[in-house]
Amino acid sequence: MTNRERTLNILHYKPADRLPAVHFGYWRELLYEWAAQGKISQELAQKVRDSNAYDRELDKIIGWDYNWSHTYGASKHLYPEFEQKVIEVLPDGTKRIQNSYGVIEKVRPGVVSIPAEDDYLLKDRKAFEELYKPRMQFFPERVNYDFFRTFNEKVYEKLDVPVGISAGSILGTIRNMTSLVGLSYLIYDEDEDLLADIVDTYADMQYKCLEEVLKTGAKFDFAHYWEDVCYKGGPLISPEIFNKLCGKHYKRFNDLLRRYGIDLISLDCDGVVDKLLPIWFENGVNIMFPIEVGVWGDQFEAARKKYGPGMLGVGGMNKVALCTDKAAVDAEIERLKRLVALGGFIPCPDHRLMPGTKFELVQYYAEEIKKIKI
Amino acid sequence: MSILNEISEKLQRGRAKEVSVLVEQALAENYSPADILNQGLIAGMNEVGEKFRRNEVFVPEVLVAARAMNAGLKILRPALISSGVKPLGKAIICTVKGDMHDIGKNLVKMMIEGQGIECIDLGVDVGPEQVVCAVRETGAKLVCLSALLTTTMTGQKEIIDALVAAGLRDRVKVMVGGAPITQQFADEIGADCYAPDAASAAIAARAFFEE
Repeated sequence: MTNRERTLNILHYKPADRLPAVHFGYWRELLYEWAAQGKISQELAQKVRDSNAYDRELDKIIGWDYNWSHTYGASKHLYPEFEQKVIEVLPDGTKRIQNSYGVIEKVRPGVVSIPAEDDYLLKDRKAFEELYKPRMQFFPERVNYDFFRTFNEKVYEKLDVPVGISAGSILGTIRNMTSLVGLSYLIYDEDEDLLADIVDTYADMQYKCLEEVLKTGAKFDFAHYWEDVCYKGGPLISPEIFNKLCGKHYKRFNDLLRRYGIDLISLDCDGVVDKLLPIWFENGVNIMFPIEVGVWGDQFEAARKKYGPGMLGVGGMNKVALCTDKAAVDAEIERLKRLVALGGFIPCPDHRLMPGTKFELVQYYAEEIKKIKI
Repeated sequence: MSILNEISEKLQRGRAKEVSVLVEQALAENYSPADILNQGLIAGMNEVGEKFRRNEVFVPEVLVAARAMNAGLKILRPALISSGVKPLGKAIICTVKGDMHDIGKNLVKMMIEGQGIECIDLGVDVGPEQVVCAVRETGAKLVCLSALLTTTMTGQKEIIDALVAAGLRDRVKVMVGGAPITQQFADEIGADCYAPDAASAAIAARAFFEE
Protein backbone atom coordinates (compact mmCIF):
# COMPACT_ATOMS: atom_id res chain seq x y z
CA MET A 1 0.00 0.00 0.00
CA THR A 2 1.12 3.57 -0.49
CA ASN A 3 1.28 5.91 2.46
CA ARG A 4 -1.73 7.72 1.06
CA GLU A 5 -3.75 4.50 0.88
CA ARG A 6 -2.84 3.26 4.34
CA THR A 7 -3.50 6.67 5.90
CA LEU A 8 -6.86 7.17 4.23
CA ASN A 9 -7.86 3.60 5.00
CA ILE A 10 -7.05 3.95 8.69
CA LEU A 11 -8.95 7.23 8.91
CA HIS A 12 -11.93 5.58 7.20
CA TYR A 13 -11.79 2.46 9.41
CA LYS A 14 -10.74 0.26 6.50
CA PRO A 15 -7.98 -2.38 6.53
CA ALA A 16 -4.37 -1.25 6.15
CA ASP A 17 -1.14 -3.24 6.10
CA ARG A 18 0.47 -1.21 8.89
CA LEU A 19 0.67 2.17 10.58
CA PRO A 20 2.49 4.92 8.73
CA ALA A 21 5.37 6.60 10.61
CA VAL A 22 4.14 10.20 10.71
CA HIS A 23 5.80 13.26 12.20
CA PHE A 24 5.24 16.99 12.50
CA GLY A 25 8.67 18.48 11.93
CA TYR A 26 11.37 19.78 14.21
CA TRP A 27 12.52 22.79 16.18
CA ARG A 28 15.30 24.31 14.09
CA GLU A 29 17.61 24.12 17.13
CA LEU A 30 17.20 20.34 17.19
CA LEU A 31 18.31 20.11 13.56
CA TYR A 32 21.40 22.17 14.41
CA GLU A 33 22.02 19.90 17.39
CA TRP A 34 21.84 16.83 15.15
CA ALA A 35 24.13 18.50 12.61
CA ALA A 36 26.67 19.26 15.37
CA GLN A 37 26.49 15.60 16.40
CA GLY A 38 27.21 14.57 12.81
CA LYS A 39 23.82 12.89 12.38
CA ILE A 40 22.70 15.12 9.50
CA SER A 41 24.34 17.69 7.23
CA GLN A 42 24.39 21.42 7.97
CA GLU A 43 22.53 21.91 4.69
CA LEU A 44 19.64 19.76 5.90
CA ALA A 45 19.65 21.51 9.26
CA GLN A 46 19.27 24.85 7.54
CA LYS A 47 16.90 23.96 4.72
CA VAL A 48 14.34 21.52 6.12
CA ARG A 49 10.86 23.02 5.98
CA ASP A 50 7.61 21.10 6.39
CA SER A 51 7.38 18.55 3.55
CA ASN A 52 9.92 20.20 1.27
CA ALA A 53 12.53 18.12 -0.60
CA TYR A 54 14.99 18.41 2.30
CA ASP A 55 12.33 17.28 4.78
CA ARG A 56 11.61 14.26 2.59
CA GLU A 57 15.35 13.51 2.41
CA LEU A 58 15.51 13.62 6.20
CA ASP A 59 12.42 11.37 6.32
CA LYS A 60 14.39 8.76 4.42
CA ILE A 61 17.44 9.06 6.71
CA ILE A 62 15.30 8.70 9.84
CA GLY A 63 12.74 6.27 8.50
CA TRP A 64 9.66 8.46 8.67
CA ASP A 65 6.98 7.89 6.05
CA TYR A 66 5.91 11.56 5.90
CA ASN A 67 5.22 14.88 7.64
CA TRP A 68 1.49 15.41 8.36
CA SER A 69 1.93 19.07 7.56
CA HIS A 70 1.76 18.63 3.80
CA THR A 71 -0.73 21.13 2.50
CA TYR A 72 -1.22 23.47 -0.41
CA GLY A 73 -3.49 26.46 -0.81
CA ALA A 74 -3.97 30.09 -1.71
CA SER A 75 -2.16 32.89 0.08
CA LYS A 76 -4.35 34.03 2.93
CA HIS A 77 -1.87 36.49 4.39
CA LEU A 78 -2.60 40.18 4.63
CA TYR A 79 -2.16 41.49 1.12
CA PRO A 80 0.08 43.38 1.01
CA GLU A 81 1.69 42.36 4.27
CA PHE A 82 2.98 45.05 6.60
CA GLU A 83 6.60 45.94 6.03
CA GLN A 84 8.81 44.00 8.41
CA LYS A 85 11.16 46.51 9.94
CA VAL A 86 13.18 47.31 13.04
CA ILE A 87 11.41 50.09 14.91
CA GLU A 88 13.96 50.50 17.68
CA VAL A 89 17.04 48.87 19.19
CA LEU A 90 17.03 49.00 22.99
CA PRO A 91 20.23 49.43 25.06
CA ASP A 92 20.41 45.69 25.86
CA GLY A 93 20.33 44.83 22.16
CA THR A 94 16.65 43.87 22.12
CA LYS A 95 15.06 44.84 18.84
CA ARG A 96 11.50 46.08 18.56
CA ILE A 97 10.40 44.74 15.20
CA GLN A 98 7.17 45.32 13.30
CA ASN A 99 6.17 41.99 11.81
CA SER A 100 4.08 41.27 8.72
CA TYR A 101 0.85 41.38 10.79
CA GLY A 102 1.59 44.89 12.08
CA VAL A 103 2.45 43.60 15.55
CA ILE A 104 5.51 45.02 17.31
CA GLU A 105 7.59 42.20 18.76
CA LYS A 106 10.60 42.24 21.03
CA VAL A 107 13.40 40.01 19.81
CA ARG A 108 16.45 39.58 22.00
CA PRO A 109 19.75 38.47 20.48
CA GLY A 110 20.65 34.89 21.32
CA VAL A 111 17.22 34.05 22.71
CA VAL A 112 15.54 31.14 20.96
CA SER A 113 11.88 31.68 21.73
CA ILE A 114 8.68 32.94 20.22
CA PRO A 115 9.10 36.75 20.20
CA ALA A 116 7.30 38.72 22.90
CA GLU A 117 4.42 40.84 21.61
CA ASP A 118 4.89 44.45 22.66
CA ASP A 119 2.31 46.48 20.76
CA TYR A 120 -0.06 46.16 17.83
CA LEU A 121 -1.93 48.30 15.32
CA LEU A 122 -5.33 46.58 15.17
CA LYS A 123 -6.83 48.32 18.19
CA ASP A 124 -9.96 50.01 16.90
CA ARG A 125 -12.38 50.33 14.03
CA LYS A 126 -10.36 53.07 12.34
CA ALA A 127 -7.28 50.82 12.20
CA PHE A 128 -9.42 47.95 10.92
CA GLU A 129 -11.13 49.98 8.20
CA GLU A 130 -8.01 51.80 7.05
CA LEU A 131 -5.13 49.36 7.59
CA TYR A 132 -6.53 45.84 7.74
CA LYS A 133 -9.80 45.52 5.88
CA PRO A 134 -8.24 46.47 2.52
CA ARG A 135 -5.53 43.84 3.14
CA MET A 136 -8.10 41.15 3.97
CA GLN A 137 -9.87 41.21 0.60
CA PHE A 138 -9.79 38.50 -2.04
CA PHE A 139 -7.59 39.25 -5.05
CA PRO A 140 -6.94 36.76 -7.88
CA GLU A 141 -3.24 37.13 -7.08
CA ARG A 142 -3.85 35.11 -3.95
CA VAL A 143 -4.37 31.95 -6.03
CA ASN A 144 -1.70 30.42 -8.26
CA TYR A 145 -4.23 29.21 -10.82
CA ASP A 146 -1.61 27.78 -13.20
CA PHE A 147 -0.14 25.66 -10.40
CA PHE A 148 -3.49 24.29 -9.27
CA ARG A 149 -4.75 23.57 -12.81
CA THR A 150 -1.85 21.15 -13.29
CA PHE A 151 -1.68 20.14 -9.62
CA ASN A 152 -3.07 16.61 -10.00
CA GLU A 153 -0.60 15.61 -12.69
CA LYS A 154 2.45 17.44 -11.36
CA VAL A 155 1.99 17.05 -7.61
CA TYR A 156 -0.83 14.82 -6.41
CA GLU A 157 -0.18 11.80 -8.64
CA LYS A 158 3.56 11.97 -8.05
CA LEU A 159 3.33 11.81 -4.27
CA ASP A 160 2.53 8.69 -2.28
CA VAL A 161 1.47 10.62 0.83
CA PRO A 162 -1.83 12.24 1.78
CA VAL A 163 -2.00 15.77 0.42
CA GLY A 164 -4.02 18.45 2.17
CA ILE A 165 -5.60 21.74 1.25
CA SER A 166 -4.92 24.53 3.71
CA ALA A 167 -8.28 25.70 5.06
CA GLY A 168 -6.71 28.59 6.97
CA SER A 169 -7.56 29.88 10.40
CA ILE A 170 -10.75 31.53 11.59
CA LEU A 171 -9.44 33.14 14.78
CA GLY A 172 -5.80 32.09 15.26
CA THR A 173 -4.37 34.41 12.62
CA ILE A 174 -6.47 37.31 13.88
CA ARG A 175 -5.02 36.62 17.35
CA ASN A 176 -1.61 36.91 15.67
CA MET A 177 -2.61 40.36 14.40
CA THR A 178 -3.88 41.66 17.73
CA SER A 179 -1.91 39.68 20.34
CA LEU A 180 -3.94 37.88 22.98
CA VAL A 181 -4.19 41.04 25.07
CA GLY A 182 -5.49 43.01 22.10
CA LEU A 183 -7.97 40.28 21.21
CA SER A 184 -9.25 40.35 24.78
CA TYR A 185 -9.78 44.09 24.68
CA LEU A 186 -11.53 43.84 21.31
CA ILE A 187 -13.99 41.36 22.82
CA TYR A 188 -14.97 43.76 25.58
CA ASP A 189 -14.42 47.28 24.28
CA GLU A 190 -17.24 49.59 23.30
CA ASP A 191 -17.53 48.68 19.61
CA GLU A 192 -18.83 45.21 20.31
CA ASP A 193 -19.36 44.38 16.64
CA LEU A 194 -15.78 45.15 15.67
CA LEU A 195 -14.25 41.75 16.41
CA ALA A 196 -17.12 39.98 14.63
CA ASP A 197 -16.59 42.27 11.61
CA ILE A 198 -12.87 41.44 11.59
CA VAL A 199 -13.53 37.70 11.84
CA ASP A 200 -16.22 37.80 9.14
CA THR A 201 -14.07 39.86 6.75
CA TYR A 202 -11.06 37.59 7.13
CA ALA A 203 -13.19 34.44 6.89
CA ASP A 204 -14.95 35.65 3.72
CA MET A 205 -11.60 36.09 1.99
CA GLN A 206 -10.39 32.66 3.12
CA TYR A 207 -13.62 31.02 1.96
CA LYS A 208 -13.21 32.56 -1.47
CA CYS A 209 -9.57 31.36 -1.57
CA LEU A 210 -10.67 27.84 -0.68
CA GLU A 211 -13.43 27.86 -3.25
CA GLU A 212 -11.18 29.17 -6.03
CA VAL A 213 -8.57 26.46 -5.41
CA LEU A 214 -11.21 23.72 -5.28
CA LYS A 215 -12.82 25.00 -8.49
CA THR A 216 -9.58 24.33 -10.38
CA GLY A 217 -10.23 20.60 -9.94
CA ALA A 218 -7.11 20.02 -7.83
CA LYS A 219 -7.42 16.84 -5.76
CA PHE A 220 -6.86 16.75 -2.01
CA ASP A 221 -7.09 13.97 0.56
CA PHE A 222 -7.83 16.17 3.54
CA ALA A 223 -8.18 19.78 4.63
CA HIS A 224 -6.24 21.31 7.45
CA TYR A 225 -6.89 24.29 9.72
CA TRP A 226 -4.46 25.95 12.08
CA GLU A 227 -5.90 27.69 15.13
CA ASP A 228 -3.81 27.41 18.34
CA VAL A 229 -6.45 29.06 20.51
CA CYS A 230 -5.97 26.90 23.61
CA TYR A 231 -3.29 26.63 26.27
CA LYS A 232 -2.54 24.54 29.31
CA GLY A 233 -5.59 25.91 31.14
CA GLY A 234 -8.09 25.40 28.30
CA PRO A 235 -9.41 27.76 25.63
CA LEU A 236 -7.91 31.23 25.42
CA ILE A 237 -11.39 32.72 25.03
CA SER A 238 -14.78 31.59 26.22
CA PRO A 239 -16.26 28.74 24.18
CA GLU A 240 -19.52 30.69 23.84
CA ILE A 241 -17.77 33.69 22.32
CA PHE A 242 -15.62 31.42 20.15
CA ASN A 243 -18.70 29.63 18.87
CA LYS A 244 -20.56 32.86 18.20
CA LEU A 245 -17.63 34.30 16.27
CA CYS A 246 -16.35 31.21 14.47
CA GLY A 247 -18.85 28.34 14.48
CA LYS A 248 -20.78 29.49 11.41
CA HIS A 249 -17.58 29.90 9.42
CA TYR A 250 -16.34 26.37 10.17
CA LYS A 251 -19.75 25.13 9.07
CA ARG A 252 -19.75 26.84 5.69
CA PHE A 253 -16.07 26.09 5.03
CA ASN A 254 -16.57 22.42 5.86
CA ASP A 255 -19.80 22.17 3.87
CA LEU A 256 -17.88 23.51 0.88
CA LEU A 257 -15.04 21.02 1.40
CA ARG A 258 -17.48 18.13 1.61
CA ARG A 259 -19.21 19.26 -1.58
CA TYR A 260 -15.82 18.76 -3.23
CA GLY A 261 -15.49 15.28 -1.71
CA ILE A 262 -13.11 16.14 1.12
CA ASP A 263 -14.39 14.32 4.19
CA LEU A 264 -11.24 14.39 6.34
CA ILE A 265 -10.87 17.77 7.99
CA SER A 266 -8.11 18.20 10.51
CA LEU A 267 -7.47 21.08 12.86
CA ASP A 268 -4.19 21.93 14.57
CA CYS A 269 -4.68 23.33 18.02
CA ASP A 270 -2.21 22.99 20.87
CA GLY A 271 -3.21 22.96 24.51
CA VAL A 272 -6.25 21.64 26.33
CA VAL A 273 -8.88 21.58 23.60
CA ASP A 274 -11.76 19.68 25.16
CA LYS A 275 -14.03 22.72 25.63
CA LEU A 276 -13.72 23.71 21.96
CA LEU A 277 -13.94 20.18 20.59
CA PRO A 278 -17.75 20.14 20.41
CA ILE A 279 -17.76 23.40 18.43
CA TRP A 280 -15.27 22.08 15.90
CA PHE A 281 -16.82 18.63 15.73
CA GLU A 282 -20.41 19.82 15.38
CA ASN A 283 -19.34 22.15 12.58
CA GLY A 284 -17.57 19.50 10.54
CA VAL A 285 -13.97 19.20 11.76
CA ASN A 286 -13.28 15.51 12.38
CA ILE A 287 -9.53 15.07 12.95
CA MET A 288 -7.91 16.52 16.06
CA PHE A 289 -4.21 17.28 15.80
CA PRO A 290 -1.64 17.19 17.43
CA ILE A 291 -3.36 15.99 20.66
CA GLU A 292 -0.70 17.25 23.07
CA VAL A 293 -0.23 14.52 25.64
CA GLY A 294 1.78 16.79 27.92
CA VAL A 295 -1.10 19.16 28.56
CA TRP A 296 -4.23 17.31 27.43
CA GLY A 297 -3.24 14.03 29.04
CA ASP A 298 -4.45 10.81 27.57
CA GLN A 299 -7.83 12.23 26.63
CA PHE A 300 -8.27 11.15 23.02
CA GLU A 301 -9.88 7.93 24.18
CA ALA A 302 -12.37 9.92 26.26
CA ALA A 303 -13.13 12.17 23.30
CA ARG A 304 -13.75 9.12 21.12
CA LYS A 305 -16.14 7.72 23.70
CA LYS A 306 -17.95 11.02 23.91
CA TYR A 307 -18.18 11.85 20.21
CA GLY A 308 -18.14 8.39 18.65
CA PRO A 309 -16.25 6.99 15.66
CA GLY A 310 -16.62 10.24 13.73
CA MET A 311 -13.95 11.76 15.96
CA LEU A 312 -10.59 10.93 14.38
CA GLY A 313 -7.10 11.72 15.61
CA VAL A 314 -3.59 12.30 14.35
CA GLY A 315 -0.96 12.93 17.00
CA GLY A 316 -1.02 11.99 20.65
CA MET A 317 2.51 10.54 20.82
CA ASN A 318 4.34 11.96 23.84
CA LYS A 319 7.47 13.33 22.18
CA VAL A 320 9.25 13.62 25.52
CA ALA A 321 9.87 9.85 25.31
CA LEU A 322 12.18 10.57 22.37
CA CYS A 323 14.45 12.57 24.69
CA THR A 324 14.67 9.69 27.16
CA ASP A 325 15.58 6.10 26.34
CA LYS A 326 14.39 3.00 24.48
CA ALA A 327 12.37 1.79 27.43
CA ALA A 328 10.42 5.07 27.48
CA VAL A 329 9.81 4.81 23.73
CA ASP A 330 8.67 1.19 24.09
CA ALA A 331 6.29 2.18 26.90
CA GLU A 332 4.90 5.04 24.81
CA ILE A 333 4.36 2.71 21.83
CA GLU A 334 2.52 0.26 24.08
CA ARG A 335 0.27 3.09 25.26
CA LEU A 336 -0.34 4.17 21.67
CA LYS A 337 -1.33 0.64 20.62
CA ARG A 338 -4.45 0.99 22.78
CA LEU A 339 -5.44 4.16 20.91
CA VAL A 340 -4.59 2.64 17.51
CA ALA A 341 -6.86 -0.29 18.35
CA LEU A 342 -9.79 2.16 18.60
CA GLY A 343 -9.43 2.77 14.86
CA GLY A 344 -9.36 6.12 13.09
CA PHE A 345 -6.22 7.17 14.92
CA ILE A 346 -2.66 7.64 13.65
CA PRO A 347 0.10 8.36 16.18
CA CYS A 348 2.35 11.34 15.51
CA PRO A 349 4.65 13.19 17.94
CA ASP A 350 2.45 15.69 19.74
CA HIS A 351 4.25 18.71 18.35
CA ARG A 352 7.56 19.56 16.74
CA LEU A 353 10.48 17.52 18.04
CA MET A 354 12.44 19.64 20.48
CA PRO A 355 16.10 20.17 21.32
CA GLY A 356 17.39 17.23 23.31
CA THR A 357 15.55 14.69 21.16
CA LYS A 358 17.84 11.72 20.48
CA PHE A 359 18.35 10.96 16.81
CA GLU A 360 18.68 7.19 17.34
CA LEU A 361 15.47 7.10 19.40
CA VAL A 362 13.56 8.83 16.61
CA GLN A 363 14.89 6.25 14.14
CA TYR A 364 13.92 3.49 16.57
CA TYR A 365 10.42 4.90 17.08
CA ALA A 366 9.84 5.26 13.31
CA GLU A 367 10.98 1.68 12.76
CA GLU A 368 8.86 0.25 15.59
CA ILE A 369 5.68 2.17 14.81
CA LYS A 370 5.72 0.75 11.27
CA LYS A 371 5.62 -2.76 12.72
CA ILE A 372 2.14 -2.14 14.11
CA LYS A 373 -0.46 -3.91 12.02
CA ILE A 374 -3.95 -2.56 11.66
CA MET B 1 -26.02 47.91 46.35
CA SER B 2 -23.24 49.70 48.22
CA ILE B 3 -20.70 51.62 46.24
CA LEU B 4 -17.99 49.11 47.24
CA ASN B 5 -20.07 46.24 45.85
CA GLU B 6 -20.66 48.29 42.75
CA ILE B 7 -16.90 48.77 42.31
CA SER B 8 -16.44 45.02 42.65
CA GLU B 9 -19.23 44.29 40.16
CA LYS B 10 -17.99 46.75 37.54
CA LEU B 11 -14.43 45.48 37.96
CA GLN B 12 -15.58 41.92 37.31
CA ARG B 13 -17.18 43.12 34.09
CA GLY B 14 -14.01 44.92 33.05
CA ARG B 15 -15.58 48.39 33.12
CA ALA B 16 -12.42 50.40 33.67
CA LYS B 17 -13.91 53.88 33.23
CA GLU B 18 -16.83 53.13 35.53
CA VAL B 19 -14.51 51.68 38.18
CA SER B 20 -12.43 54.89 38.08
CA VAL B 21 -15.52 57.04 38.50
CA LEU B 22 -16.85 54.89 41.35
CA VAL B 23 -13.51 54.94 43.20
CA GLU B 24 -13.46 58.73 42.92
CA GLN B 25 -17.02 58.85 44.20
CA ALA B 26 -16.23 56.51 47.11
CA LEU B 27 -13.28 58.67 48.14
CA ALA B 28 -15.50 61.76 47.94
CA GLU B 29 -18.01 59.99 50.19
CA ASN B 30 -15.23 59.38 52.73
CA TYR B 31 -14.96 55.62 52.42
CA SER B 32 -11.55 54.59 53.74
CA PRO B 33 -8.95 53.83 51.05
CA ALA B 34 -8.36 50.43 52.70
CA ASP B 35 -12.05 49.53 52.41
CA ILE B 36 -12.19 50.67 48.79
CA LEU B 37 -9.14 48.51 48.06
CA ASN B 38 -10.18 45.42 50.03
CA GLN B 39 -13.96 45.40 49.69
CA GLY B 40 -14.11 46.91 46.22
CA LEU B 41 -11.11 46.23 44.02
CA ILE B 42 -9.58 43.15 45.67
CA ALA B 43 -12.99 41.60 46.30
CA GLY B 44 -13.77 41.97 42.59
CA MET B 45 -10.47 40.47 41.48
CA ASN B 46 -10.90 37.60 43.95
CA GLU B 47 -14.24 36.80 42.38
CA VAL B 48 -12.72 36.89 38.88
CA GLY B 49 -9.87 34.66 40.06
CA GLU B 50 -12.27 32.11 41.49
CA LYS B 51 -14.36 32.06 38.31
CA PHE B 52 -11.17 31.70 36.26
CA ARG B 53 -10.06 28.77 38.41
CA ARG B 54 -13.48 27.15 37.89
CA ASN B 55 -13.27 27.75 34.11
CA GLU B 56 -16.30 30.02 34.25
CA VAL B 57 -14.35 32.93 32.80
CA PHE B 58 -11.28 32.92 30.57
CA VAL B 59 -8.12 34.92 29.93
CA PRO B 60 -9.87 37.92 28.27
CA GLU B 61 -12.18 38.40 31.26
CA VAL B 62 -9.17 38.36 33.62
CA LEU B 63 -7.28 40.82 31.43
CA VAL B 64 -10.12 43.32 31.25
CA ALA B 65 -10.80 42.96 34.97
CA ALA B 66 -7.12 43.60 35.70
CA ARG B 67 -7.22 46.63 33.45
CA ALA B 68 -10.19 47.91 35.46
CA MET B 69 -8.36 47.18 38.70
CA ASN B 70 -5.37 49.21 37.52
CA ALA B 71 -7.66 52.07 36.52
CA GLY B 72 -9.16 52.06 40.00
CA LEU B 73 -5.77 51.76 41.69
CA LYS B 74 -4.49 54.75 39.74
CA ILE B 75 -7.16 56.90 41.37
CA LEU B 76 -6.82 55.24 44.76
CA ARG B 77 -3.02 55.06 45.09
CA PRO B 78 -2.38 58.61 46.43
CA ALA B 79 -5.04 58.06 49.11
CA LEU B 80 -3.58 54.67 50.01
CA ILE B 81 -0.13 56.21 50.45
CA SER B 82 -1.33 59.17 52.48
CA SER B 83 -3.38 56.93 54.76
CA GLY B 84 -0.42 54.56 55.29
CA VAL B 85 -2.05 51.45 53.80
CA LYS B 86 0.74 48.99 53.06
CA PRO B 87 0.68 46.16 50.54
CA LEU B 88 0.24 42.67 51.96
CA GLY B 89 3.78 41.82 50.87
CA LYS B 90 6.30 42.12 48.10
CA ALA B 91 6.91 39.57 45.35
CA ILE B 92 9.28 39.34 42.39
CA ILE B 93 8.10 37.81 39.14
CA CYS B 94 9.84 36.98 35.86
CA THR B 95 10.06 34.63 32.90
CA VAL B 96 13.33 32.71 33.04
CA LYS B 97 16.42 33.00 30.84
CA GLY B 98 15.97 32.12 27.19
CA ASP B 99 12.20 32.52 27.30
CA MET B 100 10.41 35.60 25.96
CA HIS B 101 6.87 34.49 26.80
CA ASP B 102 5.08 36.91 29.05
CA ILE B 103 1.33 36.30 28.85
CA GLY B 104 1.27 33.72 31.65
CA LYS B 105 3.68 35.76 33.71
CA ASN B 106 1.57 38.90 33.22
CA LEU B 107 -1.61 37.06 34.18
CA VAL B 108 -0.04 35.80 37.39
CA LYS B 109 1.26 39.30 38.13
CA MET B 110 -2.20 40.82 37.66
CA MET B 111 -3.82 38.19 39.86
CA ILE B 112 -1.19 38.58 42.59
CA GLU B 113 -1.57 42.37 42.51
CA GLY B 114 -5.28 41.76 42.74
CA GLN B 115 -4.59 40.28 46.16
CA GLY B 116 -3.02 43.52 47.36
CA ILE B 117 0.53 42.25 46.96
CA GLU B 118 3.19 44.49 45.41
CA CYS B 119 4.64 42.65 42.45
CA ILE B 120 8.00 43.66 41.00
CA ASP B 121 8.16 42.52 37.38
CA LEU B 122 11.69 41.76 36.16
CA GLY B 123 10.38 40.98 32.68
CA VAL B 124 11.32 38.11 30.39
CA ASP B 125 14.60 36.28 29.65
CA VAL B 126 15.76 36.84 33.22
CA GLY B 127 18.82 35.03 34.54
CA PRO B 128 19.80 33.97 38.07
CA GLU B 129 22.01 37.00 38.76
CA GLN B 130 19.17 39.44 38.10
CA VAL B 131 16.85 37.57 40.46
CA VAL B 132 19.48 37.37 43.21
CA CYS B 133 20.15 41.12 42.88
CA ALA B 134 16.44 41.93 42.93
CA VAL B 135 15.84 39.84 46.06
CA ARG B 136 18.73 41.64 47.79
CA GLU B 137 17.63 45.10 46.69
CA THR B 138 13.89 44.85 47.26
CA GLY B 139 13.64 42.50 50.21
CA ALA B 140 10.88 40.60 48.41
CA LYS B 141 9.82 37.46 50.21
CA LEU B 142 8.32 35.64 47.25
CA VAL B 143 9.90 34.82 43.88
CA CYS B 144 7.58 33.67 41.07
CA LEU B 145 9.22 32.01 38.07
CA SER B 146 7.51 31.34 34.76
CA ALA B 147 8.68 29.17 31.84
CA LEU B 148 6.69 28.19 28.78
CA LEU B 149 9.15 25.90 27.08
CA THR B 150 10.56 22.51 27.90
CA THR B 151 13.88 23.97 26.75
CA THR B 152 13.79 26.80 29.30
CA MET B 153 12.13 25.20 32.32
CA THR B 154 15.55 24.22 33.68
CA GLY B 155 16.17 27.97 34.11
CA GLN B 156 13.91 27.78 37.17
CA LYS B 157 16.32 25.37 38.84
CA GLU B 158 19.27 27.59 37.94
CA ILE B 159 17.61 30.49 39.76
CA ILE B 160 16.83 28.38 42.83
CA ASP B 161 20.44 27.15 42.87
CA ALA B 162 21.68 30.74 42.60
CA LEU B 163 19.49 31.78 45.53
CA VAL B 164 21.00 28.93 47.55
CA ALA B 165 24.53 29.92 46.53
CA ALA B 166 23.85 33.54 47.49
CA GLY B 167 22.58 32.50 50.92
CA LEU B 168 19.12 33.89 50.17
CA ARG B 169 17.12 30.70 49.80
CA ASP B 170 15.87 30.73 53.39
CA ARG B 171 14.66 34.31 53.04
CA VAL B 172 12.31 33.71 50.10
CA LYS B 173 9.65 31.30 48.96
CA VAL B 174 9.86 30.22 45.32
CA MET B 175 6.76 29.58 43.26
CA VAL B 176 7.04 28.02 39.77
CA GLY B 177 4.58 27.65 36.92
CA GLY B 178 4.21 27.48 33.15
CA ALA B 179 2.98 25.10 30.48
CA PRO B 180 5.53 22.29 30.93
CA ILE B 181 5.82 22.60 34.72
CA THR B 182 4.35 19.93 36.99
CA GLN B 183 4.24 19.37 40.73
CA GLN B 184 6.82 16.64 40.24
CA PHE B 185 9.20 19.00 38.47
CA ALA B 186 8.65 21.67 41.14
CA ASP B 187 9.53 19.12 43.83
CA GLU B 188 12.59 17.94 41.93
CA ILE B 189 14.07 21.43 41.61
CA GLY B 190 13.32 22.39 45.20
CA ALA B 191 10.58 24.97 44.64
CA ASP B 192 8.25 25.74 47.54
CA CYS B 193 5.12 25.89 45.46
CA TYR B 194 3.78 24.85 42.06
CA ALA B 195 0.94 26.95 40.68
CA PRO B 196 -1.04 25.20 37.92
CA ASP B 197 -2.76 28.43 36.91
CA ALA B 198 -2.77 32.16 37.60
CA ALA B 199 -5.64 32.08 40.06
CA SER B 200 -4.00 29.32 42.10
CA ALA B 201 -0.78 31.34 42.09
CA ALA B 202 -2.60 34.33 43.57
CA ILE B 203 -4.26 32.21 46.26
CA ALA B 204 -0.93 30.63 47.18
CA ALA B 205 0.80 34.03 47.28
CA ARG B 206 -1.83 35.46 49.57
CA ALA B 207 -1.68 32.41 51.84
CA PHE B 208 2.09 32.76 52.02
CA PHE B 209 1.94 36.40 53.13
CA GLU B 210 -0.84 35.70 55.60
CA GLU B 211 1.12 32.86 57.26
